[in-house]
Amino acid sequence: MENELFMNAALPPPPEMAAHFETPSSSSAMLNWALRDPNLALNSSPQDCFLWEKSTEQQQSIFDSALSSLVSSPTPSNSNFSGGCGAGDGFLIRELIGKLGNIGNSSGEIYGTPVSRSASCYATPMSSPPPPMMNRATPLTEFSGDPGFAERAAKFSCFGSRSFNGRTNSGLPVNNGNIINAGKLTRVSSTPSLNALASPEFASASRPMIPAGESTPKLPGEFSRKRKTVSKAKSKENPISTASPTPSFSKTAERKEDWDGKGIKSSEEKGGKRRREEEEDEEEGKGNKSNNNTKQPEPFKDYIHVRARRGQATDSHSLAERVRREKIGERMKLLQDLVPGCNKVTGKALMLDEIINYVQSLQRQVEFLSMKLSSVNDTRLDFNVDALVSKDVMIPSSSNRLHEERLQSESSNHHQQLNNYNSQLHPNMMLQSSMNSLETSTLARNFTHLPTLTQFTDSIPQYQMFSEEDLQSIVGMGVAHNTSNESQHMKIEL
Amino acid sequence: MASQDKSINTDVPEKDVFALHFLQSLSNLKTQNPSNSPDKTNDRVKKIKMAAYVSMARAAGGRRLWSRALLRRAASENNKIVRFPRRKRRVTWLSRRRCNRRAPVEEKAADRLRDLVPGGGEMETSKLMKETAHYIKCLSMQVKVMQCLVDGLSPK
Repeated sequence: MENELFMNAALPPPPEMAAHFETPSSSSAMLNWALRDPNLALNSSPQDCFLWEKSTEQQQSIFDSALSSLVSSPTPSNSNFSGGCGAGDGFLIRELIGKLGNIGNSSGEIYGTPVSRSASCYATPMSSPPPPMMNRATPLTEFSGDPGFAERAAKFSCFGSRSFNGRTNSGLPVNNGNIINAGKLTRVSSTPSLNALASPEFASASRPMIPAGESTPKLPGEFSRKRKTVSKAKSKENPISTASPTPSFSKTAERKEDWDGKGIKSSEEKGGKRRREEEEDEEEGKGNKSNNNTKQPEPFKDYIHVRARRGQATDSHSLAERVRREKIGERMKLLQDLVPGCNKVTGKALMLDEIINYVQSLQRQVEFLSMKLSSVNDTRLDFNVDALVSKDVMIPSSSNRLHEERLQSESSNHHQQLNNYNSQLHPNMMLQSSMNSLETSTLARNFTHLPTLTQFTDSIPQYQMFSEEDLQSIVGMGVAHNTSNESQHMKIEL
Repeated sequence: MASQDKSINTDVPEKDVFALHFLQSLSNLKTQNPSNSPDKTNDRVKKIKMAAYVSMARAAGGRRLWSRALLRRAASENNKIVRFPRRKRRVTWLSRRRCNRRAPVEEKAADRLRDLVPGGGEMETSKLMKETAHYIKCLSMQVKVMQCLVDGLSPK
């Protein structure tokens, strides 16, 4: 039960939640009572009677007070539970924190429970758990645990609106795995704020037991101390909360009602503007903080990624610079493989020099070759022109294949041999060199994924192109027979 | 066969495409000035070289920075519009770096490399390395193909 209760409490209370919580509290307290009844019936104990008495009292007095009792009733259980072994205030709080932390663990799992259900559950377990606990509880422990009551009551009354904020104060991301901590801190931060509120109520509820005046001044002071450690924002609320309950205990219940209305539904209700403003501020802060928290992991990852070694600078600029340098180094290695003779060189600058030289040499080669081509062009390229332009794009590969077959039929034996040889040599060959027959003297080029260009006029060197990476792709069969040095096919033919 | 070819041609610059473009442009050159005037050899050489580069850039496709830069340059020289989706950044890295602070030796070398690689001025150093790698591949391919062409076309 406790767990349930706290799990619900640990839920991030969205606005709906607050509304849910408020509706039973202010308008229909009876609903809560109805919810309470079965549980109480189940828990057959003397303390039930006590509770009943209390409840009846409250019913008689006001509905509102009933709410307060509702809120306060679970608290004894908590106090007993936590501070069962001689609870001093500080001890109680510590215990609570620890317990809440523990429960926060479980709450993380049930994070996504529907709001409406949580609201209903909220009413029931709160009322139900006390009896068994109260059984064990001596009046003395009750007295001693009475700050605990107050605390609890405060928490539950406030959590609808406040725990959210309290979580923000904790400065931990709500959606992360840190929920546990967030929940813990939430409780701590939120409880004290309304503690002062709740304690007089409790006093009003159980008037004979406690002199209310004692509990009230004592608690806020203590909690305020605690609160300062937790958050600054809460400390602002401290005077308000302390100021409100003290003046008259007779109206505390009503006042608490008001507080519930304002505090829980802070954005909607009039009055308590300061509070509302504060809460809004807190929410804004929370939004910022959540943003910060969401942003945090990314740079963190980067840090992991970069991983400054010992003695290396860790500020972002040097890290970025290091990343950049690493990237450049990788690319340099890639270049190193491409450029011949670059492996022997050490040092980036020298390597770059080598690369530059290589590129320059290649460009010069291109220039030289284009010069050569220009000289050659006049005599030799004429035939190419028409054939290329006319046939280049149009001929599909199938026709090319047909053409090859025809070629094969023409120069069957020799051609077959060559094809076989080629296929053996280069299984991935883009071009099966279609023709080696000097007699046909056709220029055939296979573009495997491009349209092929096959046949040219007579007295034209054969081009067989692009058989392999290193292979010279064009072989002038008729004319440039001797000049083509590296071609395997040429060797065959020779 | 075709699938194999595709797998082969993924990274390696495509010779056949280059050769196709190059031959086309050569033939175009031929048709444009059929008169074999020997006095304009210089011009002719330039044009052929340009054709070779442009066809190389076309073969490389529009994804590479250097090929884009080449095509842009060619377009500006030719006054012909080559349609390519443009990148936004036109601030040259080279100029920025040059006017900038101290440059280590590597950066100086990289700047020299920027002059060589078309479009290198716009590139950041690591990008420059990448582009240079591809450019070198394409250049070597181009040289090979042109060598073959020359060999094939030159008279005995």
